[in-house]
Amino acid sequence: MVAQNVFFYLLAGIILFSAFRVVTSNNVVHAALYLVAVLAAVAAEYVLLAAEFVAATQVLVYIGAIIVLFLFGIMLTRAKLGSDQDLTHPHWALSAATAVVMFGVMGYALVDQFHWTATPLPADTRLVSVDGSNSATVSDSVFTAYLVPFEVVSVLLLAALVGAIVLARKD
Amino acid sequence: MFAFLLQSVASTFDRPAIDLHALAPEFVLTGALVVVLLVDLFTPKGSRGIVPSVAGIGILAAMVPVLTLALDGADRSMFGGAYVVDNFSLVLQAMFLLAAYVVVLLSTNYVAEGDYAEGEYYFLLLCALLGMLVMASSRDLITMFVALELLSIPAYMLAGWRKRDRRGNEAGVKYYLMGVFASAVMLYGMSLLYGISGSTLFSDIALAVARGNGLGDTTPLITLGVVFVLIGFAFKVSAVPFHTWAPDTYEGAPTPVTAFLAVSSKAAGFVALLQLILIAFIGRDDVVGPLMWVLAALTMTVGNLIALRQTNIVRMLAYSGVAQAGFMLAPLAVVGSNSDGARSAVVTYLLIYAAMNLGAFAVVLIVARKTRSAEIASWGGLFEYAPGLTVLMTVFLFSLAGIPPLGGWLAKFVVFRALLSPDLTAGGVILAVVVGVNSVIALYYYANVARQMWMNPVPDGDRTPVRIPFSLAAAVTLSVVLTVAFGVSDLATHLGDLATFLPA
Repeated sequence: MVAQNVFFYLLAGIILFSAFRVVTSNNVVHAALYLVAVLAAVAAEYVLLAAEFVAATQVLVYIGAIIVLFLFGIMLTRAKLGSDQDLTHPHWALSAATAVVMFGVMGYALVDQFHWTATPLPADTRLVSVDGSNSATVSDSVFTAYLVPFEVVSVLLLAALVGAIVLARKD
Repeated sequence: MFAFLLQSVASTFDRPAIDLHALAPEFVLTGALVVVLLVDLFTPKGSRGIVPSVAGIGILAAMVPVLTLALDGADRSMFGGAYVVDNFSLVLQAMFLLAAYVVVLLSTNYVAEGDYAEGEYYFLLLCALLGMLVMASSRDLITMFVALELLSIPAYMLAGWRKRDRRGNEAGVKYYLMGVFASAVMLYGMSLLYGISGSTLFSDIALAVARGNGLGDTTPLITLGVVFVLIGFAFKVSAVPFHTWAPDTYEGAPTPVTAFLAVSSKAAGFVALLQLILIAFIGRDDVVGPLMWVLAALTMTVGNLIALRQTNIVRMLAYSGVAQAGFMLAPLAVVGSNSDGARSAVVTYLLIYAAMNLGAFAVVLIVARKTRSAEIASWGGLFEYAPGLTVLMTVFLFSLAGIPPLGGWLAKFVVFRALLSPDLTAGGVILAVVVGVNSVIALYYYANVARQMWMNPVPDGDRTPVRIPFSLAAAVTLSVVLTVAFGVSDLATHLGDLATFLPA
């Protein structure tokens, strides 16, 4: 348990530092790369929680797809890749104040609900571990309890694909 | 060989029980949207009109299982109650299908005559419709969220369908950015609710968040989750202060898409709100009531006051749609004392609103074919060259304003009845007064358009009659028949009373 706590705070520190650098960096590419650090550390937190499937998905989707999309977007649209002082929005103080207030509200609500004690996770009858593996549980519940949303997602992806082609095509 | 491989896997997998009849509307519509895509692929470029026909037939075909399920009458529940077929879902699915059919009629000429990707347009329309059907049946956070995304993502793209037009781009981007922001807020709320209840099912969440269940019930965390989820859908129904996307998106999107967003997409938001408030958050009217009260009062007042200043008819209809959303939110404010009445009132209002608003958009489309403008000033003297259309538009406008004996009057009446019964409460009475005052304000800008059409001279002196294509004529006829029928009969209130939830 001690090792888990040590690594939790280590990763939380990495997340906080990198997230801070994402918004303060003057270079878009650096900001995107700090975001990679944030997302990778979050994936590591999932591993600490024994949610290996979520961790793998986090790496595949966020780092593998979304950040790559970000970098391509930056390279295809902006010629200026170096340091840029205009990146900081003039109303950043207002945004920071909003963020602090939201953090206060959410943090207070969470501490008020769970206090500083360890709370056992509530048991979802549909997410009982099969053969000790969480991935097997996830796959079983996708094809039983969540069959309708799973099928609907496939239509959603098809729609996104078709629409994106129409909007991006030169004609 | 595959059977051998499958057998070698030691699995505890149990096949879920699937009721094919209950899922038939979704299956038929999924089939139809694939057929639309294939038909578009294999028809030669010049032969237009085939794809909208296929899309329309597909929608009507999906109506058949909805009717057989309604005749069958049995409530069906699948996946532990995550996906149900009850009276509520059937009434709303029928409304979504009929509204989408009218939107296809509205789109036929508009899309064929503009330079648009026709097959993909109807494909995305049917995808969004599928999301709405799923939404009406979902009683589970994940199913509801996926349904919301399926109806939103095609709508984002359809809003920006005029991709060479700057205002079209603005419409799409604004709607998309606001929409994903709302989704993110809602998703955070959903994660809090799941964290508290340990389940994504509405029935389990209702147990976990209800007052007085001894689970640390009225903690700020539950309130935060409830409020975040409701705010996500407040964006969808364009409630003030989350309405800022609506006017620009409505103006920049192709007009049939605007009609779709203003009617179907908004109705889907209300369907989700009804299910959440009346099933999942039924024990928390102390949070939901005041929130809805403030949203309703703000939405109708701000929507109406800005609508007064509009000179563009589509923007005016956009703000009037914001105000109408306020009227629909009002019954949800008294959900604590009159939950059945609130449900019935919102469903009745949705049915009537769909008929009259689609009708108004149909006339706007017909008139814009001649005047090539959406400015209210260009509607001057419409009576001189298109008397029939003028009468129809007047019917739709006065129905939106709530003049008896048209449908909109009954819609306002059920809202008042829900607010003032079973017994008078201070909140209900004050909100009823706000609704009354706003109805009077709204009459001014609706009557202003009527005055333009009946009294003012034709601005450019062009009195050639308006040619009405068959599909638009069919859409207007369908809308006007329903608008008048809802006003003079008790059809809409009957359907509203009928649309009950499956008892949990």
